[in-house]
Amino acid sequence: MNRAKKVVASVSTLLTRRTFYPSPTFRCDPLPTVSANSESHWSHESLQPSPSAQELRFSRRRFCSGSSDKRITVCWNCGFSSEKAAFLFCDSCRSIQPIDDSIDYFQIFGLERKYELDGGSLEGKYKDWQKKLHPDLVHNKSQKERDYAADQSAKVTEAYRTLTKRLSRAMYIMKLNGKHVNEEETITDPTLLMEIMELRESIAEANDSKELDQIRSQVQEKLKQWSDSFVEAFESHRFDEAVKCIQRMTYYERACEEIVKKL
Amino acid sequence: MMLRQAAKKALGLTSRQSTPWSVGISRSYHENVIDHYDNPRNVGSFDKNDPSIGTGLVGAPACGDVMKLQIKVDEKTGQIVDARFKTFGCGSAIASSSVATEWVKGKAMEEVLTIKNTEIAKHLSLPPVKLHCSMLAEDAIKAAVKDYKEKRLKTNGAAAAAGQTAQA
Repeated sequence: MNRAKKVVASVSTLLTRRTFYPSPTFRCDPLPTVSANSESHWSHESLQPSPSAQELRFSRRRFCSGSSDKRITVCWNCGFSSEKAAFLFCDSCRSIQPIDDSIDYFQIFGLERKYELDGGSLEGKYKDWQKKLHPDLVHNKSQKERDYAADQSAKVTEAYRTLTKRLSRAMYIMKLNGKHVNEEETITDPTLLMEIMELRESIAEANDSKELDQIRSQVQEKLKQWSDSFVEAFESHRFDEAVKCIQRMTYYERACEEIVKKL
Repeated sequence: MMLRQAAKKALGLTSRQSTPWSVGISRSYHENVIDHYDNPRNVGSFDKNDPSIGTGLVGAPACGDVMKLQIKVDEKTGQIVDARFKTFGCGSAIASSSVATEWVKGKAMEEVLTIKNTEIAKHLSLPPVKLHCSMLAEDAIKAAVKDYKEKRLKTNGAAAAAGQTAQA
């Protein structure tokens, strides 16, 4: 049994490494949430020594049934087993579930893990979640469940905030792909810095709201332009370039904030 | 001038927001930081084309800060005789660069390269979350010195070439 577990562990890391690059929409997370039946199935597969790539692909497909969001979690309260990607709330017994760190913000809103979003759906889904998870609704329930409510509600709020704004969404999706936008590194790119310096100076020296509005629309155009560049760079896996796009966008966002403060 | 006014306004806003006296937790700026804010030393610019000036331009992309620090060097002695800064960023970033301009004055270039961000942070009692502001100031000093040295090399190189052609 131990040997099977070890092989299973190594195969699963191989699998996760394979799923790292190509399809951001394909999500397969077999090990933690598998139910009893599939496990015996799995260990049977793994006993074969060094499975070939084809067999791996085959077993992965069988395991995940080709669907991107299949996972099985069980309610702590009533034992109801759910296949939902984001099982935060049990509809069967209406109890709130504990935090599962493997659920990412895109799954909470039932979205594909990509940068472009269709605008309207987020707010509606956010409100729907809060109607079920908000701490104000669980006063009569156990301390444990009240804690779950506080955590889940906070996570959903954080997810909503992160995904609504372009810049934070870009940084989050980079993080999900293991690329951290290095927060505290100093940059010395003279062209970018000169441009930002001049931009900030012009904001500081602007005398009336008309001028400020003009500057603001210029900056927002730049933001859109770099946002598009980010998408392009990200989808082509040019991650260093994507990071640079994010850095520029941060500067422009900051400039916009300054304009708003001044207005 | 504009920067100072903007800084004062910003400080007015932020201290109201970040110092909730009623709650009793004083998460306020250290008096050194406020001092540099109210009385910023050495705000301004030198002509960056002037051969005795070194310009360091650095940025912290995480918070959208930009910092420009300029040094005026006596070419005979290699000593920094004057410094100016212009920073767009939080109070800690502005104070850090202000302190930096004070500390580099009257020192040799090699000496200012040893100024560490931790010393600046200690002087201003910067909280951990603002340590990168002092790092930015340290990087700005180094960038200014580097710029001056590169300029000198270029002018010396040009002068040497001119000298050779003159001789020839």
